[in-house]
Amino acid sequence: MSRRTLLTFLLGLCAIPVMAQDLGNLQIHGFATQGFLFSSANNYLTMPSSRGSLLWTDGGISVIDSLSDNLRVGMQIHMYQMGEIGGPNIAVDWASGDYHLNDQLGFRAGKIKIPMGFYNDSQDVDSLFLWTLLPQSTYPTDNRDYDLSLLGGEVYGERSLGTRRGSVQYRGYVGESTLDAHGGYVLQLAGYGATFPNPPAGKDFGGDIRWLTPWRGLMVGASAQSQALDGTGPQGSVHMPPSFMYAYYAEWRKGKADFVGEYWRTPLYPVLTLGADAFSAGFDQRAWYGMASYRVTPNLQLGAYYSHYFNKAGDTSLPENYSKDWVVSGRYDFNQNFYGKVEGHFLHGTGLGYYASTNPNGLQPNANMLAARVGFTF
Amino acid sequence: MSATGKARAWMVVAGMVLTSVSARAQDVLIVANRGVAASQISEGQLREIFTGVRSRLTDGTRAVPVLLKGGPVHEVFLHRRIGDSPEEFRTRWRKAVFTGQGSMPKEFRSEAELLDYVEATPGAIGYVSRLNDKNSVKVLIVSP
Repeated sequence: MSRRTLLTFLLGLCAIPVMAQDLGNLQIHGFATQGFLFSSANNYLTMPSSRGSLLWTDGGISVIDSLSDNLRVGMQIHMYQMGEIGGPNIAVDWASGDYHLNDQLGFRAGKIKIPMGFYNDSQDVDSLFLWTLLPQSTYPTDNRDYDLSLLGGEVYGERSLGTRRGSVQYRGYVGESTLDAHGGYVLQLAGYGATFPNPPAGKDFGGDIRWLTPWRGLMVGASAQSQALDGTGPQGSVHMPPSFMYAYYAEWRKGKADFVGEYWRTPLYPVLTLGADAFSAGFDQRAWYGMASYRVTPNLQLGAYYSHYFNKAGDTSLPENYSKDWVVSGRYDFNQNFYGKVEGHFLHGTGLGYYASTNPNGLQPNANMLAARVGFTF
Repeated sequence: MSATGKARAWMVVAGMVLTSVSARAQDVLIVANRGVAASQISEGQLREIFTGVRSRLTDGTRAVPVLLKGGPVHEVFLHRRIGDSPEEFRTRWRKAVFTGQGSMPKEFRSEAELLDYVEATPGAIGYVSRLNDKNSVKVLIVSP
């Protein structure tokens, strides 16, 4: 049923480009992708990847209307299935009203994307990237819907620092984040025997600042976020006190080459209570990556990255407390709307992306993977 | 060097000069609605307007950037004035659209259609390879 629904949804998307033009100020855009994952060992991201899996489908459609010079409203709905995550449900990716007072100050309210790190707010839009999978150390695909957006408001703007000092872009937000009922965290909690009629949620606030330096192509930025979580179910509860996480990042674009690097620190101390028993888990997650890409021709991009994750609160010599991923990637754009990607992963450690439910026989410490994706966007 | 060698060297030099002249000639005119008070625009402002960072011209007029859908004039404009390839530029705007931070500028299949829109729309700013009717729109001088 879910596959059929997804297929219908995607076929619907493909039929839309004819009307993907402006209808006055109304704009309609969308994307759809189909992925494939094959791993030499272990099942990754809840997909049966050790046998080769096509259970990786994604699609979204956005409608934007400019009501006046300063006011824009819009909404994006989204549907995805990745192994046991996601499903036939249509979720609201973002839906907001945007009042642009001037270039230095604007406001957005509704369900808004969270600016955390370089890629967070766009990590679900596959067509923007060379990479089939973004570095999982900082952008874990299995939990992206929780990380992506919140219900609340933000202020944003940009200020020039003069011709010799570049400019800064800034965003600050506050609201409430809710775990994705079909996402990785809820699946993990279910694995411990905790289910929730309403997904756990909590207060969230933070900000992001980017300096577009006077050196053309060089941008540096920093983000910070405070996140809390509470939820109660028939078996018990989960509580996470406000956790402060931060990220630093930089991008340098030179001609056809692009270099990006990020460092994240995410300390989390959730407490899971089941009946009379309370389990406290400590995570002091450190993650970083460095990536380089080159546009060989207008249609062909090649690149590589190294992504590194470890949980400093645990024994970092154990595979479950680290993940090191060497990646080589290629993307070919058949035209402005269709593209294909292929990527090789050489993964060491099992700290990210693996679930007991899809790996009942345990995990091998290392695995190689082939990931591929074809996509359509308009 | 033999006579044939000299002739070849001159041909190479002449070819380089011709290529250079042709490349220099490949620029675009920046056009705006006649209601725009400013007569020039800086390279930085032009780039910020077409990348969605700036929404107003220096005279306070709301800027409405418009694009050609593709072709050599579009590519020259992006390369010389924005510093993007068409692919990078498209990705930049798709990111704004799909994250709820912007809406795509209007695109036109021909320069004539673009000029008609610029002529009729307050604050509209675009680019063309040449201009037959200089009274319909305003040509902005791009300053460094």
